[in-house]
Amino acid sequence: MMNTFYNKCALILIAFALVSCSDDFVDVDPPFQLTSETFFETEDDFRNALVGAYDLLQATYINVILAEIASDNANAGGESATDVVGWQQVDRMIHTPVNDDIDNVWDFNFAGVYRASYIIENKDKIDFDGKEQIIAEVRFLRAYFNFELVKWFGPIPIKPEGRFELGEETSIPRASLEDVYAYIENDLSLAIPNLSPQPPQVGRASKASAQALLGKVHLFQEEFGLAAAQFNDVVNSGFRLYGTVPEEDVLNLFEFEAENSAEAVFEIQYTGAEGAGFDCLQCSEGNVMVGFSGVRGYNGPLYEPGFGFNLPTQEMFDAFETNDLRRELSILDIEAWAANTEAVFTIGNQDPQTGHTGYYNRKYIPRQNENLGDANLTQPNNYRAIRFADVLLMAAESLNRGNINDVLALDYVNQVRSRAGLPDINVSGSQLTDEIYRQRRLELVGEGHRFFDLVRTGRAVQQIQGFTAGKNEVFPIPLEEIQFSQGNWEQNPNY
Amino acid sequence: MIKNFLLTTFCFFSLCLFSQERDIKGSVADKESGMPLLGVNVIIEGTTQGTTTDFDGNFMLASVQKDATLVFSYLGFKTLKIKVAGQTQFDVQLESDTESLDDVVVIGYGSSSKRKITGSVSTVNSESIQDLEPINAATALQGTSAGVSVTPQSGAPGAESNIRIRGVSTNGNSSPLIILNGAQYDGGLNSINPQDIESITVLKDAQAAIYGSIGANGVVLIETKRGERNQSAVVSYNTYVGLQETTRKLPLLNANEYVLLTNEKYANAGLDLPFTNLSQINNNTDWQDQVFETPTVISNNVSIRGGSENTDYSFSASHLDQGGIVAPDKSNFKRSTASISLNTDVRDFLNVSANVFFTNNRSQGINSFGLGSVLFNAINIAPVINRSQNNLDGTIDLGAEVVNPLTQINNTFNDFESNRLSGSFKAELEYIKDFKLTARYGFNSSKLNNREFFPEFNFGTGKVFNRPFNQVNLNQQDFYDYTFDLFNTIEKTFFDDLDVNLTLGTTAFRAHGEGLFASRTGVPRNSFQFADLDSATGLGDNQTNGSFVNEFRRLSYFSRVEFSYLDRYLLSGIIRRDTSSNFGPNNASAWFPSLTAGWIMTEEDFIGTNDFINFAKLRGSYGQLGNDQIENFLYLSVLNGEATYVFGEDQSLTEGQALGPLANPNIKWEISTKLDLGLDLEFLNRDLRVTFDYYRNEREDLLIPSIPTSGIFGTSAPGSLAPTINAGTVVNKGIELSINYSKEVNDDFSFSINYNMSTLDNEVTQINGAPFLEGGQFSVGQLPPSRMEVGLPIGYFYGLKTDGIFQSQAEVDSHPSQALLGATARPGDIRFVDVNGDGTISQDDRTYIGDPIPDVTMGFNLSFNYKNFDFSAYSFANLGSEIVRNFERDQVNVNMLSHRLDRWTGPGTSSTEPRVSAGATANKLFSDYFVEDGSFLRIQTISFGYSLPTEALKTVGLTSVKIYAKVDNAFTFTEYSGYDPTASTGAPIGGGIDLGFYPLPRTYTLGLNVKL
Repeated sequence: MMNTFYNKCALILIAFALVSCSDDFVDVDPPFQLTSETFFETEDDFRNALVGAYDLLQATYINVILAEIASDNANAGGESATDVVGWQQVDRMIHTPVNDDIDNVWDFNFAGVYRASYIIENKDKIDFDGKEQIIAEVRFLRAYFNFELVKWFGPIPIKPEGRFELGEETSIPRASLEDVYAYIENDLSLAIPNLSPQPPQVGRASKASAQALLGKVHLFQEEFGLAAAQFNDVVNSGFRLYGTVPEEDVLNLFEFEAENSAEAVFEIQYTGAEGAGFDCLQCSEGNVMVGFSGVRGYNGPLYEPGFGFNLPTQEMFDAFETNDLRRELSILDIEAWAANTEAVFTIGNQDPQTGHTGYYNRKYIPRQNENLGDANLTQPNNYRAIRFADVLLMAAESLNRGNINDVLALDYVNQVRSRAGLPDINVSGSQLTDEIYRQRRLELVGEGHRFFDLVRTGRAVQQIQGFTAGKNEVFPIPLEEIQFSQGNWEQNPNY
Repeated sequence: MIKNFLLTTFCFFSLCLFSQERDIKGSVADKESGMPLLGVNVIIEGTTQGTTTDFDGNFMLASVQKDATLVFSYLGFKTLKIKVAGQTQFDVQLESDTESLDDVVVIGYGSSSKRKITGSVSTVNSESIQDLEPINAATALQGTSAGVSVTPQSGAPGAESNIRIRGVSTNGNSSPLIILNGAQYDGGLNSINPQDIESITVLKDAQAAIYGSIGANGVVLIETKRGERNQSAVVSYNTYVGLQETTRKLPLLNANEYVLLTNEKYANAGLDLPFTNLSQINNNTDWQDQVFETPTVISNNVSIRGGSENTDYSFSASHLDQGGIVAPDKSNFKRSTASISLNTDVRDFLNVSANVFFTNNRSQGINSFGLGSVLFNAINIAPVINRSQNNLDGTIDLGAEVVNPLTQINNTFNDFESNRLSGSFKAELEYIKDFKLTARYGFNSSKLNNREFFPEFNFGTGKVFNRPFNQVNLNQQDFYDYTFDLFNTIEKTFFDDLDVNLTLGTTAFRAHGEGLFASRTGVPRNSFQFADLDSATGLGDNQTNGSFVNEFRRLSYFSRVEFSYLDRYLLSGIIRRDTSSNFGPNNASAWFPSLTAGWIMTEEDFIGTNDFINFAKLRGSYGQLGNDQIENFLYLSVLNGEATYVFGEDQSLTEGQALGPLANPNIKWEISTKLDLGLDLEFLNRDLRVTFDYYRNEREDLLIPSIPTSGIFGTSAPGSLAPTINAGTVVNKGIELSINYSKEVNDDFSFSINYNMSTLDNEVTQINGAPFLEGGQFSVGQLPPSRMEVGLPIGYFYGLKTDGIFQSQAEVDSHPSQALLGATARPGDIRFVDVNGDGTISQDDRTYIGDPIPDVTMGFNLSFNYKNFDFSAYSFANLGSEIVRNFERDQVNVNMLSHRLDRWTGPGTSSTEPRVSAGATANKLFSDYFVEDGSFLRIQTISFGYSLPTEALKTVGLTSVKIYAKVDNAFTFTEYSGYDPTASTGAPIGGGIDLGFYPLPRTYTLGLNVKL
């Protein structure tokens, strides 16, 4: 009797187990999370994904500081001659495909391309008002990242229709320079008509942002007419140089109060409101370049300490005329400053080629502020990626070198000079070209443009110590990438 | 007449016979404890006549022949035979048998016996655990089990250990599956009270295939103590007090030496000297003396165990309080445990059991790992700095990372608490004779609370630890999992000699986790006392929160059939099918088969047993096991990346959405194919026992998490991660040998010696999609030092090879240029080898310079008992491993190890130690200069005990009292210059790099064990 009862229990248990434990048991979805399959189904999805694409702009701090160190403007600096060895090598122009920091440039910018491409891949999934503006911003961003990549590495693999998929590193080749530029121009050309002249929010790309970038892309290919046309539009879009109205002082151009000013054509936004750590520098919402450029062991007024990289050279300092307001704007003479303010500082790297110079990049050193820790990584200084002075000088260069209009070009140059407190000049032809080059260096020192200006105008080998022509115009493809591609991507010449 | 005669004779003989018989009585007790044993079988040999002892251990047998032999047998004790020889009173003591061939060996979803087991198994019993009395039960496996390697993650109190069985096979999760009383246990072993453990069994080969999907890393089965049936309650109280100290202080420069070498650095670089006025050097701080202390460890443990005829029970409770040898006020561990175990026969066909464990862990910790840890700071801070200088401004520049370690300790505030409830409920029903159904529900529920407070503090200008304002971080995590097993066991004997045992069943496993995180600034009075979200007053962007939810499920069906013919031919087969929610629909399920076989040769007539050899068994196993221990849902693209940017006039943070880790839709099971051939031998009356094994494990389709992939896949984006890919094959092979000799010389003296040894040959045989994988970290900003590459051991060290020191400029000039390393070489610099022969030295000349995997590991353990004294010593050794010295900060002004005093200062002064220099040199690049021999021999435990005479104790109502003295981590013989040669993160790629390992303490213990 009892046995029968237990037998029944057993049978029920077995039946229960067989029924309940079918394979459905393991059929679960990630709890409370969106997956790729269910994404891009609402307008908000697109807006949220757009934030993700913008996010990578903050990681391009690396392009700026490393390009500055690569140029003749600055020494690597740091704690010692081996501190951030990848930067030290770039300063000496002895960098090889084994270089973590160059690898970061590749990785961070391609991450931007990937996020933008993810949206473009899904752009036709739904329709809503304002989608064109979003897709146009995405195309602008993708062009921005791709242009950085082509500047650094030359030909790169491209896939305009969407994201790269696993395995394609061994099948999609590095496209020709021509194709890469055509791809960038195409993204920008599609973006421009759909971008609003006034961006929907401060920090987002406007029509002028895309036009200025397209002009720059043409200028890099020496397509002066096409470049001038774009710059012309931007010049007439209502921007003005900061410090040209009474309530502004040009010396404040890189202070917090001058962020997103009337000079800003496109500005990368940073904040110190979120903490960051060394394990993911690209995750910081702050401008990592700024803390790295700060005065070592600094204790005094106005500024905060930093790691002492990216040190302007004596030659750079001397390139300014003494009455040029931009010398004080751009370069902090730390000894003079310490003498005046009783601030203290320490000296790290003392190597004659890469070490201490006594000068700091005043445009992008930390100002005293309430940023979260690690304070070295979360400085809120916006990066003025494209500012009106740059546009004026690029416009002048296009007009002059394209033999289009030296008078207009001279006017643009004099606008820039005048804002710096310098008298107008009157030159033309190659003299004007030289003046444009000189003004570009003086105006844009510390902003990461110099190295690529020297390369595209063929002056790098004269100006940069250790520069090897036919090699150092571009940086090496990271060794890891060459290996991932299993022979699909060739190394740049002579690396 | 004849009839009468016969009758008379018969009567006479009967009388004679009758007069040969008599009644006998006596008692049976446990020799060790003196406790009466209840239910001991007392049988007259060759008959069915017998009885069992009663509650007081007494027995009586009527009419026993004078020449009969009594057989006393009791499970877990050595069977004793005594000739009656006319005696009538027998007060017998039985000796516990720790090494019986019929001992039960747990093998998962059932058990086998030592005699019949066909897989490779190591067992650590409660005696060894009692001898070692470890804080963490994992320590008991170290040196006692061949092929099992245990490395503590740190010497900090409460730190877990990494357990590796037969080498490192994957660079995913290499930890074995832990099964506690039959149910999957998800916690660390330091949440289990070691004194509750009856046995730890390690399944090392394909026999673990019954745990198919999750057994690839091996299986550790833990059975906890139960009460004895028919025994009145035994109350045990065990306590010990220990004093801990560091085993080592590193030889560092004192202030004078430091000033000398630092000045020399600057002089060598042509720079101004930092110390010009030597009379101003007022301090000579030994920072290691400042941070190391000698705290106590105290343990109390009570248990009550016993049973009636149908029920046994066990209750236990314990408390452990351990301080850290660095900053015990801020670094300590408190563990309280309580457990209940009940087991009852409801009917003779139904058994029900339950056991539940509760653990409360409380700990506080200091930064104890790597760059920025307290010890790292103590090693690197200059000795010329005063101990009370909290803000290092005005002293020599030590870079952004190095701060005063004492200040760091004072500013560390945290509190970690976890509450865990684990257990299982089981019912076994014999519904038809020989047919048994088992249902078991096992669970783990744990709640973790973590509170951290970072006070506003300035350690000196630019220091990374500086906090411009204070902050409190709270996080709470809940984890819950259950394992539901339902299986049927059929045991039948056919044709008299063929025993068949069939197990069929199913297991469902579900794990769920949730967590909440929040932080807030503005803690009142900058004090930990008020470090709560509610008390804090911060507003704005710095107040953050977050959460996560995990879900994992696995469903398995399995079957095992075991045959035993004539007790000598053994064969078993296992098949298991698993479905895991970690893989996409196409790859979710997999089959895991295995086969094991054994031949007990000594059962054969043509071999047989004799005085010399008692037992010989040849066995082999072959099969496949799987591994699905990866993050959940990696086959799906989930929008859990970070998308944060700054928009708007007010520059406010805007959150969006982005892809998380790159998905791999084709991800599938990692498969391990295991072969084991073994031989078990017993000689000399079973005093000498030898086990030999050859093993080969081939792990295919390695699940490699975040495998480096091309940057074009966007894996560098915030919150993204490289995909997890089935990316390679690793082979581990070697031999294991275990020799035990134990001898009871006489009643007063016995001893046992155990030696075990295993070799390990690890080789990567395939990597898909990449020529190699990199990992680990050396110094700051240098290339990854560890690699996984075909033809070499996993995680080998990849760096420059050195060839002495340049003695002269001529030597520099005649050597290939080292300029590509970042600095032109000068006399006194390290000379690197042009490995690739391209006429220049660059990072392309990096090559194999060692690996962290020991070639041979050994254990050697001794124990002696003489009268009431006992002595035991446990030791183990690793041979042939390398370790990387990486606790010296690459900064010009930090302190140095004293071997730098032997630096090169001119031709002929040194061929091993490069010059010191504040300028650019390539001497700091990762090379074999930093790789040291990590071989060591450690005397793990020396213990000496005395048991009070039992007769004397009886008068005061005690059963046994033992006092003992013990030293743990007594000596380590090694050439390594760091704190501890066992330093390792345990990472398969990037392990063996010593980032300033918190050394394991040496502990002097006094203990007392009392039984009532």
